[in-house]
Amino acid sequence: MTTTPTAPAATPAARARALLRSPILLSILGALLLGSVMLLGAGGNPIEAYAAMVDGAFGSTQWRNTLIVAVPVVGMALAVAVPLRAGVVNLGGEGQIVLGGITAAVVAATVDLPMPLSLVAALSAGALAGGLLGTIPAVLENRLGVPLLVSSLLLSYPVVALASYVVRFPLRDPGTGLPQSRVFEEAYRMPVLFGIGLSAVVLAVVIALVVQVDSRTPFGYEVRLTGHNRRFTEYAGVDVPRMVTRLMFTGGGIAGLIGAMVVTSVPYRYIDGALVVPGYTWTGLLAALLARANPLGAVAAGVFFAALQVGGFGMERETEVPRELSSILQATVIVILAATVAATARRARTRKDTAVSERPSSPEGGAVRTRTGTTSAGEVDS
Amino acid sequence: MTPRKAEPSAESGGDPAGEPRVELAGIVKRFGDVVANDAADLRLATGEIHALVGENGAGKSTLMSVLYGLIAPDEGEIRVAGKPVRFRSPVEAVEAGMGMVHQAFRLFPSMTVAENVVYRAETRGTAGLLDRRAAVRAVQDLSERYGLRVDPRARIRNLSVGVLQRVEILKALHRDAQVLILDEPTAVLTPQETRLLFDVLRGLRDSGRTVVIVTHKLGEVLELSDNVTVLRDGRTVARLVTAETTGAEIARHMTGRAVDLDGHYVPGTPAAAVLTVEGLTVGPPTGRPVVDDVSLTVRAGEIVGIAGVAGNGQLELLEAIAGLRPSRSGSVRVGGTGLHGFSAGRRREAGIAYIPEDRAATGSAVAASVADNLAVGFHRRSPLRRGWRLDRSAVRDHARRIIEHFDIKVSTPAVAAGTLSGGNLQKLVVGREMAHDAPVLLVDQPTRGVDIGAIENIHGRLRAYRDAGHAVLLASAELSELMALADRVLVMFGGRVVADLDRADATEENVGLAMAGIPASTGAPGTGS
Amino acid sequence: MNVLTELVDLSLIPSILRALTPVLLAALGGAICAKAGVFNVGLEGFMLVGAFAAVAGSWFTGSAWVGVLAAVLAGAGMAALLAIASVKYGGDEIIVGIALNLLAVGLTAFLLRTVFGRQGTFTEPTLQGLPTIAGQTPLTYLAWLLVPVLAVFLRRHVWGFRLQGVGEAPEAARSLGVDTVKYRYGAVLASGVLCGLAGAQLSLGNVVLFSQNMTAGRGWVAVVAVLLAQAAPFGVLLAALLFATAEALGFRLQGVGLPSQLASATPYVLTLIALIVASVRARRVLGRAPGEVPSEDRPPVENPAASTHVSRE
Repeated sequence: MTTTPTAPAATPAARARALLRSPILLSILGALLLGSVMLLGAGGNPIEAYAAMVDGAFGSTQWRNTLIVAVPVVGMALAVAVPLRAGVVNLGGEGQIVLGGITAAVVAATVDLPMPLSLVAALSAGALAGGLLGTIPAVLENRLGVPLLVSSLLLSYPVVALASYVVRFPLRDPGTGLPQSRVFEEAYRMPVLFGIGLSAVVLAVVIALVVQVDSRTPFGYEVRLTGHNRRFTEYAGVDVPRMVTRLMFTGGGIAGLIGAMVVTSVPYRYIDGALVVPGYTWTGLLAALLARANPLGAVAAGVFFAALQVGGFGMERETEVPRELSSILQATVIVILAATVAATARRARTRKDTAVSERPSSPEGGAVRTRTGTTSAGEVDS
Repeated sequence: MTPRKAEPSAESGGDPAGEPRVELAGIVKRFGDVVANDAADLRLATGEIHALVGENGAGKSTLMSVLYGLIAPDEGEIRVAGKPVRFRSPVEAVEAGMGMVHQAFRLFPSMTVAENVVYRAETRGTAGLLDRRAAVRAVQDLSERYGLRVDPRARIRNLSVGVLQRVEILKALHRDAQVLILDEPTAVLTPQETRLLFDVLRGLRDSGRTVVIVTHKLGEVLELSDNVTVLRDGRTVARLVTAETTGAEIARHMTGRAVDLDGHYVPGTPAAAVLTVEGLTVGPPTGRPVVDDVSLTVRAGEIVGIAGVAGNGQLELLEAIAGLRPSRSGSVRVGGTGLHGFSAGRRREAGIAYIPEDRAATGSAVAASVADNLAVGFHRRSPLRRGWRLDRSAVRDHARRIIEHFDIKVSTPAVAAGTLSGGNLQKLVVGREMAHDAPVLLVDQPTRGVDIGAIENIHGRLRAYRDAGHAVLLASAELSELMALADRVLVMFGGRVVADLDRADATEENVGLAMAGIPASTGAPGTGS
Repeated sequence: MNVLTELVDLSLIPSILRALTPVLLAALGGAICAKAGVFNVGLEGFMLVGAFAAVAGSWFTGSAWVGVLAAVLAGAGMAALLAIASVKYGGDEIIVGIALNLLAVGLTAFLLRTVFGRQGTFTEPTLQGLPTIAGQTPLTYLAWLLVPVLAVFLRRHVWGFRLQGVGEAPEAARSLGVDTVKYRYGAVLASGVLCGLAGAQLSLGNVVLFSQNMTAGRGWVAVVAVLLAQAAPFGVLLAALLFATAEALGFRLQGVGLPSQLASATPYVLTLIALIVASVRARRVLGRAPGEVPSEDRPPVENPAASTHVSRE
């Protein structure tokens, strides 16, 4: 699971065995089972429905749709996974992707630039806007002690409202009655290269960068250790608040970039709600949780969840089972995963605790310890 | 000193000849491959103070956990008043008259003393409402009867350790404990508080209760107990009547050999001052400081010990020096460099290494690999860092070097640090911090909860580190540890340094008095009560 | 001047009360969990499922009260998932709570289509809403009544007393024979019940319809209310009142010609500002953040908002 630089290379067979016993596979199976129950309840046939789902996601013409959806989902998974690697939960993805999108739209509508420069400007403006929005909760937590989890989420509401206002009034396309901007100039349209969108290429570069930094650099090493034990890295002299700010900037920046890329792709305009309604943020969040913040894992989980989502449409077409089953499956995987991972860890811990017969020879600290949640090691308890 | 006698009652008075009140017979408990108890026996009579002694890891805690229903034994029997019983939980043990005062107190900080005492044994008023007045009365009654002075309405978080211990005893008495087990009860107490506790325990004995103290301090055993049971390697090796034995005999049973850690002391050769702390004050912006105007100097080639009952500011002092806790005022200098405004990271660069008190919560990331744990602090420098990358093979080599040099028992550096035993994890932390070769090493409780072998190993390392010309500041709650290592002893009490003793003056008596907050200059008259 | 009188008058009070009820009920549920040591961020999802079940119950039986009952059961059902995954198996409660919120969105949308064959919104003229007494539903009165009841329960009742112990020092409670798991189960289930009521108020009280994701962040506002009030019932009331006033005022703002986006953002901005102010004050006075458990022997370098950080283990 963790990519410690010193992990021994496992044989493929051992890896396969480990995968079979892995909580991730168990959780997916559990969720599929629960989905079957729901399908039966809704009068559907689970086998048909799942088959339609697979076909809808990977069928001869469908995989391209999966790829199109996978770009934002994988991107938003990274936007969460990057800070989550250090234990920081970024719930502000919605605001970050929307701000990135609307910023790119504003650039596209107001700045007149030639082709490559135009896109560079729109995408970097979007990424920068998302990144800066991401740093606000980090700074609030570092400086004032405002819980980042909650503040990142609350910040999204005004940002989404602001973007909605901008597209309904200043940027509105007067030609239609819908809350959407005008179609962008040619210079602000993401080209399609070799059958895949430029967005996918840009995202691939981002993934490569994140993976490299995570697994190969001293900074990535510090981030992973912080995820294990924040107190330890602070003790070791790492400036964790600054790290959190950087990670939130990166996460928000990726979200903003994704927003900008979605907006500058087909249909080349900002449509109110287009970044919110498909639920990229939340699907991505679940994917990051499924991967337990491992960047490559988040990519895999993001593709998997995107396939579930696209497959859901196929299933709906074929079997009339509502596509929302996909979101149910995604969320259920995470609930089961969280429980099984914790249960496994707890079992391992009890084994270890009881194996250590030596106890501290003098008590810890002076006063009463109240560390809720975690029980101190070395203590044998009921 | 004669114990106060309570009114004679039918059940009072030790009666070793009669049937034991509680008997543990042939207790075996295995944890995986480790045998914690191997045919351990214990017989407790009515109205006695019984000492259960043994070294760390001898199986005392396991045996007491069996008696208190925390652990089910693999073999053996518990008999109460001659009848075999099985405790499936502490609740059943409490119902059978057991009471336990754990080493780490288990109290609710925001609640009052009375609330803590009656928790889950409350008096209910109408509609199941809690009768707080009855709770206060119950505490007042008990504390009067047994001389356990405590204000029932005080909040736990405002009380000192000695009082907290009294609350724990009250909790057991409120549940009518006939057998009261105290795990290392004096470790956190000043000599005065210890004396007070002993009086209380004698009173409890004289009222017919059985008191068990789990300890490794021989002085207390001899002073307080009526009978002694010695455990070694999980089995009962001796049952002695205190009046008929000596400390030397008990020690021989405990260790199987004579141990004299003090004897290892070798003086250092101090040179120029390296670490200088002046007027350091630490604490919340308003209110009482936890470190109060502390000044000290540690020279190269010197170990300066900090004695003091836990919780008197030692931890906070070291953390403030290391940059992990903001200081209100004062200065810290290493060599010629003032560290004002330096983060923990920059302080490390300036030459401070730190072995923290809690190796698992602070000193390591137990879920990360041993190699990752050993690389911390080296990972941004050559050779571990090459260009912008962290060189994995260099990380591995670095880990192997420390593992070998510090004799850490681990199969490969890739395993999680959390799989190491306490002693080996401590060696990992010690090894990593010493590998920095920093001019200043801060050390907090370096041998807490590790076995004798690891203690001697770590003590040797600390001496060698000093002799290589480094300055070592060592906080320890174990006087014997300070006697074995320190060239000079400072004593902290209430956040202040109340004594600065040269090696020659640092007798147990002087240090002990200072730990209780009595300045040596006032010439306190011995240790009598 | 004119704008001000148009914004603030007596008729604002009923709308504040209406906006208050769901948030207050959910926040009281969150407060019980917080007292038991469970940081429950699943309130939003519990409430949403409750809102759906209320409409379904009312529609199929013709009785709003059956709808309320269904909401309570559905909320408790969702809460049971949190209890099993987090309390029993020890899964990270933040992760499970977030996942349950998303499960609720998917589940209600799925059921909206399979049960009602609708997408987006379900409403029918014959759908029975809750009756009102003096303009307010019985649930509003119940919510207000619950504030002192809960305060007394937590402070004076033996169970509440033990519950607080479970939250403050679980090992201590366990060592005295209190089944901490049972108490936490109880607290989480109680929050499910209260969130179910909150959902019923939303879908059968404030309006008579169900629409997708109609809770719109109110559960998260309730989470903030719990943080701000440090789980004290009367404090929770004040915090929820602040939000409700902002929501009611927001609608007024819309009435005087300001864009609706401003109206919808106002409550959240105000909540955020309140959270920031409370954090700054807590830090200055007590040296800790509002979400934190007060404790003497706090590890020094621990992050002040540690309660909102998850461990990857």
